[in-house]
Amino acid sequence: MRDCRSAESFYLYLEGELDPAERRGLEAHLEACPACREALAERRLLHEAFTSLPPLEVPPDFALSVMDNLPEPATVGRRWLAPLIAATASLVVGLFGFYLLTGESLSDVLVAVSRVSGSATGRFLPLLAKMFKVGTLLLDVASGFMMMLGKGLVAFLSSLGPDGICLVLGLGLLLSLLLLLGAKRLLSLGEKT
Amino acid sequence: MIVRKYEHPLTNYLGRMTGEREAALDFTQEVFIKVYCSLGSYRPAYKFSTWLFKIASNHLIDHWRKKKLPTLSLDQPVDEDERSLTPQVPDPGPSVARKFELAEIRQKIERALESIPEAFRELFVLRHVNEFSYEEIADIKSLPVGTVKNRVFQAKEMLRRRMEGS
Repeated sequence: MRDCRSAESFYLYLEGELDPAERRGLEAHLEACPACREALAERRLLHEAFTSLPPLEVPPDFALSVMDNLPEPATVGRRWLAPLIAATASLVVGLFGFYLLTGESLSDVLVAVSRVSGSATGRFLPLLAKMFKVGTLLLDVASGFMMMLGKGLVAFLSSLGPDGICLVLGLGLLLSLLLLLGAKRLLSLGEKT
Repeated sequence: MIVRKYEHPLTNYLGRMTGEREAALDFTQEVFIKVYCSLGSYRPAYKFSTWLFKIASNHLIDHWRKKKLPTLSLDQPVDEDERSLTPQVPDPGPSVARKFELAEIRQKIERALESIPEAFRELFVLRHVNEFSYEEIADIKSLPVGTVKNRVFQAKEMLRRRMEGS
């Protein structure tokens, strides 16, 4: 019969993959074509079998055995390896480049590098040591001052007793309010002028 | 848990591709290890299952290359005998489907699956065993959707012909 459809279109029809117009065209053709109906019936049975193949069994402890065989996460030490290799490679390339540019032998280059690094170390190390010493001294003074202030405050408050502490807090509050009022007045005077 | 969720679909896919359950379990384990080691390269824009099966598919291809098994590229034409089986409807031959009951047909399909080229078998398995859409298969295999549809159809007709001959 004319307009017989391809086997591919039967499979797509069974899978619901044909667009509505194609589907309607196929269905109309099937009405009039016994041969295509038979061919479709055969593909339908095959399609049913294709889509219902039995699943393979997986052992119940399979997931656990997979988890046991997973590799250890990368260690911290290994993360240093790539930068270390890159740094070494850069140094070697730099030395070789220097050797090519200046014509100095590799031993001369190495001596020059050691001299430069030696002089840099000789200049910067004393400066760093001094900075460190001054920093430590300042820290000592500041911490001593804060400790002394804290101790004095504790001794003063303990000598006052609860009533005294209330009186000091009240006076402090009053003084703060007066300061705030004074500041506000100064600001408003400034606005007028 | 990823392993629990995908152990069955992955084993079914690899089982149908290798034809052996034990080998499929070994492959499944290897694929999970590969996935674990490659998690850093996973982009959430991709569907996870598509990414997982792409890794599994590449793992199989590597395995076949190492074993030097003859593989058929999807770009190569199939042989004349296979080519001739495409659209010929109505089929004048005896109805294959009616020869067997459904269970029998399934058994025959399992056996016939092992005899069709891997490239066709893989697309068939992804479509009908793993139930991926044609678009998802196209993503997994980096192929146009039309090509995938046509190759799945060819795989089905190859199976039909082989069952007919059995």
